Amino acid sequence: MNESDDRNTDAGDGALMAAARALPKGITPGRNLWPAIAEALAEPIADDAVTPQHKGLPHWQRALGMAAAVVLLVGGSSAITWLAVSGGQSSVVPQPVTEPLQLQPVSGSFGAEYELGAEFMAARGNLASQLDAKLDRLSPQARAEVEKNIAEIRASIHQIDRVLADEPDNALLQELLLSAYRDELRLMQRVDGIITSVMRREDI
Amino acid sequence: MQAVRNLVEIAPVHEPGVVTQEPTEDERGWLARAKRAEVTAFEAIYRAHVDRVYGLCLRMTGNASEAEDCTQEAFIQAWRQLSKFRGDSSLGTWLHRIAVNAVLGRMRKSRREQDRMQAVSDAYPATSAIGDSGGLRDLEYAMDALPSGARHVFVLHAVYGYSHEETGAMLGIASGTSKAQLHRAKRLLAQQLN
Repeated sequence: MNESDDRNTDAGDGALMAAARALPKGITPGRNLWPAIAEALAEPIADDAVTPQHKGLPHWQRALGMAAAVVLLVGGSSAITWLAVSGGQSSVVPQPVTEPLQLQPVSGSFGAEYELGAEFMAARGNLASQLDAKLDRLSPQARAEVEKNIAEIRASIHQIDRVLADEPDNALLQELLLSAYRDELRLMQRVDGIITSVMRREDI
Repeated sequence: MQAVRNLVEIAPVHEPGVVTQEPTEDERGWLARAKRAEVTAFEAIYRAHVDRVYGLCLRMTGNASEAEDCTQEAFIQAWRQLSKFRGDSSLGTWLHRIAVNAVLGRMRKSRREQDRMQAVSDAYPATSAIGDSGGLRDLEYAMDALPSGARHVFVLHAVYGYSHEETGAMLGIASGTSKAQLHRAKRLLAQQLN
């Protein structure tokens, strides 16, 4: 199965791969691992020891979590594109704030067993606060669009986070959630940059 | 690259990993009994596969203690998920998938990747039956020094013979990423071994 992948490698690569394949596949553990395993098998399965497949959210909800990550990527990209195209006209007339914006970040939860770093959360909080103020300069339409997209991203984060709480060791979900947080941050940065750029042009 | 070529001269070339191996008659019997919650049958499965599972865990974690924990976790999870094993892949492949999940979950949880210090070679001489394995030990050392992403791909693909698609599925990455990591691993290994 590796032969076709490695067809074009040079002789050195071939020698390296051959050496790797020659390594013994098995290594005997330094101690007998079975007694502890047997003990664990004899114990009744505690709720928190049950594998994700046995408990928690149904499969369709886990799939929804995955889908949420895809949706937020598409939504985030659309928001940036929309703002980049229409931001110039929409931000000319500052709008009065009619109601408080709800752009404070969601919790820094990262599944059941992780927390995002304090530095990341601080940057995220600052950016959200700045964005709150700067969004006042957008037209209602533009503002609604930004809010809608950020809300969608956060809904996705909540969804993935909820599924991850049920499957804390799901590597794919962890990657997707981290990616979602990054996308949220990136979207806020991009929106912030676009608004700042428009403000500069107005100053001139 | 001469050093790499020397590796091959001292080592017999085996077949790639036993990825598509059919279950043996014994294994089928053990499986059937283990699915009926017979621990002795599961112990037989453990005895038959523990070295391959531990070998993978050790090469992925680079730490004997972590590898032991991951191996135990993998077999405990395997026991709990036995009813889900339908034989679509070999038992060894299925156990490897569970072991990879155990390793990745543990690494993410503990975030102690930077603390990996113990070399694979500590355990290596005990099981090696390849005569003068100095060259292979060098390769084990070099693999252990790889960044985790490249190391995981190299171990699964180059050592255990999984395809890029299988490797990607196990690690939760795209097959293209697996290929890129393999390329990186080979480049870094060549630098170290020269």
